[in-house]
Amino acid sequence: MLKLIVKRILLLIPLLWLIATLTFFLLRVLPGGPFDSEKNLPPEIMANLQAKYHLDKPLPQQYCYYIQRLSKGDLGISYKYLDRSVNDILASAFPVSLTLGIAALCIAITVGIPLGIFAAINKDNAIDAACIGIATLGVSLPGFVIGALLIFVFGIWLKLLPVALWESGWHIILPALTLAAGPTAYLARLTRTSMLDALNKDWVRTARLKGQSYWQTILKHVLRNALVPIITVLGPLSAILITGSFTVEYIYAVPGMGRFFITAVSNRDYDLVLGTTLIFSVLLVIANTIVDILYHVLDPRIEITD
Amino acid sequence: MFLIRELKLQTNMQQTKIHLAKIAAIIILIMCVVAILSSLGFSFTSYSYDQTSECILKPPSAHHLLGTDELGRDLLTRIIYGSQLSISIGFLTAIIAFLVGTAYGSIAGFIGGRVDTLMMRGIDLFYALPDLLIMILIGIVIGRGTFGILLALGLVSWMGTARLVRAQFLYLKKEEFIEAARACGASSWRIIVKHLLPNAFAPIVVSLTFIVPSAILAESTLSFIGLGLSPPACSWGTLASEGWRALRTEPHLILWPSLAIFIVVLSFNFLGDTLADKLDPKNKLIN
Repeated sequence: MLKLIVKRILLLIPLLWLIATLTFFLLRVLPGGPFDSEKNLPPEIMANLQAKYHLDKPLPQQYCYYIQRLSKGDLGISYKYLDRSVNDILASAFPVSLTLGIAALCIAITVGIPLGIFAAINKDNAIDAACIGIATLGVSLPGFVIGALLIFVFGIWLKLLPVALWESGWHIILPALTLAAGPTAYLARLTRTSMLDALNKDWVRTARLKGQSYWQTILKHVLRNALVPIITVLGPLSAILITGSFTVEYIYAVPGMGRFFITAVSNRDYDLVLGTTLIFSVLLVIANTIVDILYHVLDPRIEITD
Repeated sequence: MFLIRELKLQTNMQQTKIHLAKIAAIIILIMCVVAILSSLGFSFTSYSYDQTSECILKPPSAHHLLGTDELGRDLLTRIIYGSQLSISIGFLTAIIAFLVGTAYGSIAGFIGGRVDTLMMRGIDLFYALPDLLIMILIGIVIGRGTFGILLALGLVSWMGTARLVRAQFLYLKKEEFIEAARACGASSWRIIVKHLLPNAFAPIVVSLTFIVPSAILAESTLSFIGLGLSPPACSWGTLASEGWRALRTEPHLILWPSLAIFIVVLSFNFLGDTLADKLDPKNKLIN
């Protein structure tokens, strides 16, 4: 296992380099630059600005500068949020997105998976229909409409919860629910399919014949085997949730990473976009490594490779 | 006794599911016909989609069945007009995903070996870049018109289909009938088009029924965050996001377009679920 983790960390370096290079050139190919929206800058000031951030240098040289800084862990400077380094911005925005993402992930797991289990063990009766009905509702509305619905019901109508900003624990509830709606529904549907597959296996009957109780069989044997595909999607899903969703952060005015990312692309804030993309990639690799380890824990027959 | 009752219950449930799927298919068909007719200039209401009037922000009434927006335009007319864009974006995205995904997956799965590994790593790299980044980049390069959105949505939705086709090909390639076709002297092209693809067709169709609704949802989300279509373009996404701004005072503005999205997406999901059940070879054995 230690070998796997070390290997993955070593693999992370070329992957990050590849993604940094790809994103770097993709962004520079785009028309427009970071200072385009500043109104009527005199050419001298424009030249000074470009020189300050090395944007007047040829592209390969800019790239070398960037990689050099990156190798020291410096993600660069934001051109829009004056004098704030990308490290600084991400250090303040990441914990917010992380909290929100983990809250949403907890909701998705604790609601979605049991919903799927109940649907599967009650296959084709009313409980199944109800569970899958709820789950299908969750994947049939865009996130901002779910947000609007929650704000309308809990914020405007019942006046129970705050509808925006990021201040107390109460402020986490609505954004977390909005963010969790889609993944919860998806997990429920996936769990149902995967449980049904496992329930049809012969060893379920064996376990019951052995005298194991119904619930013991479901939880110890069936669920454990059904978890493999669920864990597979949980890897990328948690990376996506933790990096933050623009929609949710925009609706609830949450100062997280998702918002910075979108505005940074529109502003051509090159370093900030690169920094956010790199964090996403790192999280994705970490999540997938944890998934690979969990595979082995769940089913020792699955060898840990790579 | 008990067993028989249970079996009966099950078939009842399956019957209901099939009925639901039929209703879903009819709803989709009606929506498509409405969208096509409205694109041919047929008007279902006595207003045109951009006709403004004095009745501003009126709730539903006999004159305006779903109410009016801030310029006095009839909301029902606008939703019918918006169905043209929303539904065509859904279907066209699925077609792009089908064409690109099938071509990519077929090549990877058929050739196999190192080419396959390389092509799959390519997909992994694509996954590692955030979807939104890809869509924004395409939006900036091509523009945020309908074509740009289509290309952006198509480009982020083909990977799943490609993986599916590849997995099917890897599995089918080892079957005896492929060996037989090869022994008869069939060319690789013929084997792919005449033998492999038709056998992999069912799961591909199922995956496409899920791409249509997710493209409709993605378009509305993109339009909402200001990276998709923007007025005067009129889709359910732009209508719902216009309604969002007046959520507190005029909730009907977001309600009706969202309901349109909801009904179509739900219908596609129902249809997809039932198709998946029906077309899954494992279920055939049981029934």
